Amino acid sequence: MSWIRESELTIIERFCANIIKAGPMPKHVAFIMDGNRRYAQKCHVERQQGHSQGFDKLAQTLRWCLNLGIREVTVYAFSIENFKRSKEEVDGLMDLARQKFSRLLEEQENLKKHGVCIRVLGDLPLLPLDIQELIAQAVLATKNYNKCFLNVCFAYTSRHEISNAVREMAWGVEQGLLEPSDVSESLLDKCLYTNNSPDPDLLIRTSGEVRLSDFLLWQVKIFCFLLE
Amino acid sequence: RQRWRSDGRALQKLPVHMGLVVTEEEPSYADMASLVVWCMAVGISYVSVYDHNGIFKRNNARLMDEILKQQQELLGLDCSKYTMEFANQEKADQALKFELWHKALTPKILHPSLEMCMLGKTAALLLVKGLQCDDSVGREDVNFLEIPSFSTNGFPDPDLVLKFGPVDSTLGFLPWHIRLTEIM
Repeated sequence: MSWIRESELTIIERFCANIIKAGPMPKHVAFIMDGNRRYAQKCHVERQQGHSQGFDKLAQTLRWCLNLGIREVTVYAFSIENFKRSKEEVDGLMDLARQKFSRLLEEQENLKKHGVCIRVLGDLPLLPLDIQELIAQAVLATKNYNKCFLNVCFAYTSRHEISNAVREMAWGVEQGLLEPSDVSESLLDKCLYTNNSPDPDLLIRTSGEVRLSDFLLWQVKIFCFLLE
Repeated sequence: RQRWRSDGRALQKLPVHMGLVVTEEEPSYADMASLVVWCMAVGISYVSVYDHNGIFKRNNARLMDEILKQQQELLGLDCSKYTMEFANQEKADQALKFELWHKALTPKILHPSLEMCMLGKTAALLLVKGLQCDDSVGREDVNFLEIPSFSTNGFPDPDLVLKFGPVDSTLGFLPWHIRLTEIM
């Protein structure tokens, strides 16, 4: 399954899109993609299938965003906390990641056509080496595209991101690159993984949970919890 | 009043720390006071009150008066059973200190204190100072929860935040601590 589905929108989808586009639009939307396992249980399929279908829905959502002119999307794909899940599930998710990042590399033409810049945010050294390499290739291959931006949070938690940023600032002062008076809220913004992106205007969480679950705690302004 | 207590007992789970976040431009002291009194009656131990303009903080005496008044009105004869400890954080240079008022039992009320800039700047400065003083402390070793501005002085992370007003945002309320907080 491709990252950006090429199929045309249906008449209803186009109609709704036109209505939505008539009003103010967010420039950056963040998604917490939750509920894959519950969905799998509901449909009586394997968890892995739930995750796979979750990815398909992501691809469809990216297509909608592209069509609506939302230029930046950030998704919470895998939390550092998720490493605590069973080995079977984590291995399954890593395999899914291998599959999808490899597929991404095959879709260079498509990414070039839409000008999609891929960024992957998180504590990447925690990931298997081969996945780190795939990610590096995807990020390098698309780094000069700038029509739209997809940020995938993988091996990510917001607390890790914030603490990492604070450590960077401390290092800067230690090294004499910064004065203590340079340390500020806006400098912290610049040290976060998301420093190249504006803050999300809207955060959407699927599945009905009403928590941020350690996602973009510093950056998120407006959130919307979609009820089941 | 008795109903409040039994309501509290009837719940399977009670939040230990409840956050009350107001996004209205002109928050209502009476409404906030009655909410705080309800929290007390139902058995919630820690309550945080926050509005992003800092109105409650600046006028905390007025809020406290209103709370005491409502405590008497709503809890009546029972009101002496419920006492309150008020924790007020003051920004003082790069250290945070608390003033305790009405020293008594729980619930503790934390006023809007950890604004984002304070959180970020103070934490970073303290970390930097700490590192400058002690070369043996590696950057990786620092436990963020020990940094005063990250610590809410004994308050656990909020379990639940009730948000009031038109804005779908917590507007900078304890960004570090609401990692797992349910927001309604």
